Amino acid sequence: MLRLQTCIPALVAERLPTCRERARRLPGACQKPAKTCHGLPAPSTPLAPFAWRGESGAMKLLLVEDDAQAAAFLKRALAEAGHTVDLAASGRDGLLLAAGEAYDVIILDRMLPHLDGLAILRTIRASKVKTPVLILTAMGGIDDRVEGLEAGGDDYLIKPFAFSELLARVNALARRPPTSDVTTTLRVADVEMDLLKRTLTRAGERIELQPREFQLLEFLMRHAGRVVTRTMLLEGVWDFHFDPKTNIVDTHISRLRGKLDRGHSRELIHTVRGAGYCLREP
Amino acid sequence: MFRSSSLRLAALYTAGFALSVVALGAISLITTEAALRRMFDDRIAAESASLIQEYRTEGREGVVQAVRERDRTPGALDYGLQGADGRAIAGRLAGARAPAGWSVLSMGAAREDAERTRVLAARLPNGERLLVGDDVDRTEALNDELVRRLALAFVGVVLLGVAGGWGLSRGVHRRIASITGTAQAIIDGDLTRRVPAARAADDLGSLAATLNRMLDRIGVLMESVRQVSNDIAHDLRTPLTRLRARLEASLRAGDRAERVEAIEGALADLDAILGTFAALLRIAQIEGGARRAAFRPVDLAELSRTVVEAFAPSAEDAGQSLQLRAEGPLLAEGDPELLTQMLVNLVENGLRHAGPNARVEVRCKRAGGAPVISVVDDGPGVPAAERERLFDRFHRLETSRSTPGSGLGLALVAAVARLHGAEASLDDAAPGLACLVTFQTPG
Repeated sequence: MLRLQTCIPALVAERLPTCRERARRLPGACQKPAKTCHGLPAPSTPLAPFAWRGESGAMKLLLVEDDAQAAAFLKRALAEAGHTVDLAASGRDGLLLAAGEAYDVIILDRMLPHLDGLAILRTIRASKVKTPVLILTAMGGIDDRVEGLEAGGDDYLIKPFAFSELLARVNALARRPPTSDVTTTLRVADVEMDLLKRTLTRAGERIELQPREFQLLEFLMRHAGRVVTRTMLLEGVWDFHFDPKTNIVDTHISRLRGKLDRGHSRELIHTVRGAGYCLREP
Repeated sequence: MFRSSSLRLAALYTAGFALSVVALGAISLITTEAALRRMFDDRIAAESASLIQEYRTEGREGVVQAVRERDRTPGALDYGLQGADGRAIAGRLAGARAPAGWSVLSMGAAREDAERTRVLAARLPNGERLLVGDDVDRTEALNDELVRRLALAFVGVVLLGVAGGWGLSRGVHRRIASITGTAQAIIDGDLTRRVPAARAADDLGSLAATLNRMLDRIGVLMESVRQVSNDIAHDLRTPLTRLRARLEASLRAGDRAERVEAIEGALADLDAILGTFAALLRIAQIEGGARRAAFRPVDLAELSRTVVEAFAPSAEDAGQSLQLRAEGPLLAEGDPELLTQMLVNLVENGLRHAGPNARVEVRCKRAGGAPVISVVDDGPGVPAAERERLFDRFHRLETSRSTPGSGLGLALVAAVARLHGAEASLDDAAPGLACLVTFQTPG
């Protein structure tokens, strides 16, 4: 389990902003009661740097969303996660901003008045802007997703979504390693993964994994230091683009953990409550 | 009635028929007239030739006698014999001034009812002129008679056409009006109305039957839509009620932890509702059938292996077992994403309802060339009478009401199967249940 300050504030920020606001006005206000919303001890320093950006740092985001309420909520939540957010309420504004400013990630609502989100995306891509784009959409069809990705989107999130899901995906996009296709070895802490020989060692000791466990760990290692949600794992590892009712991700993670962390004092795979998992050095 | 298309058709048809009668009449009239005239002329020419022959055998006196004799015979032609200088010798036409050859003379030109006579003037070998002629009006009387009869036939045709068209279109109009009336009644809300069955097994009768079948089908669909909306209302009302209660509880909660617990419960309820929505939308999208464009060859055994590997650990943790039995690749045309979801639903359904310690097996094989995927469990099974309804939306066995699930899993399986031209069915696996998806034989 991650330590408190590494995971909780996002969820507190998302679900109980009043508490955070109180906390901001009066540091320590959230220390009582001693338990937080999640039944965990309250963060000792509520204003401690936000965990999820601990390693990704503050990002500059562009949010193109016409629904004022949703936009305001997302902007505030993203700002509380430590990011700078520019808001564009129309496709035209979004285009101007995307072309004129350098962003780490663009969050683009697919259905905008007057101008289709995908049309904007194509225009952005045609003008050689390579900023990662996360498409938000109310259309959940398979073809819609394929269309979105073909238009130049990097990821696709169907409304309604949990804010933690959005945040995890934005983080994942921002730090997508540009040289991933030529990397042959992944290293996190004392874990080393050889992608060509498909072998894994921890502290020099060989660990045998099933092929799917290997893929799962590879996904976690490629996103090391960042939270990956269950949905991201389902899509990235199993290619399941729907939500099974059984929690298969947790089971597989627990088996992987058994093989990877057993006999080692430092656990590498951490559960981020209400969001997903994170592979990181303790 | 006057805007009836059948009447208009009948009128057009009658008019066309009348026109063709007129054309036919005109042609036969012209032909008959020409034939009559030729016969008329032939008779005159033959008479003239026979008199000239008479001259050769009997001499001049024979001809004079013959002319006089024939002039007295009623109904015979008119004759005349003139000297070479034109002076009258004998016969009724002796005084006529006719040029050599054929001509038409008006006898007694002064009078209104002048007789017109067709005359052939020939010369006898002695130079005298022989005139043979006949009353032209006799051919014209024949013609007039023909015209009169044709006109009668024309009137008859038109009368018959109008009467027939009227009668015919009245019948057709009545039957079309009954279809229109039924449609109007349905527009006005009476969905049970049907077009009265026709006695005749003709095209209108088959149209009425087809319309009735269409209305029956629409009725069934409307009923199923109504059923689905009832089910949605019912199946969503329960979690929505829970959601509302939890949110109200969170308002009342004095304790922060209590409030958070209520809100987290509410979020879970909300996710369940959204899951149901997603499943319904997915089924609707699949039933729309627009996904066939994305079909490509898929190895069902490979898909099954992925799904079994994904779910086996969870099953083992629950004390169950999930296994795959496949003999080599099993190819079918399809949408891998939907087929995966179908398999997942089948496997989850088996694991959920087969109970603890259950063994669930996914089998991939061919039956008579057709790929078959079956998910077989050794759970309590389902009574035969209940099996077919399991594929209905929101249908859940009373015994499984207590287990979690939206009741949409197998409905989605059926929808994906239908999209692939495959058949989803249930079978007794003694003691458990076997869910089968039978694809079509390739090629």
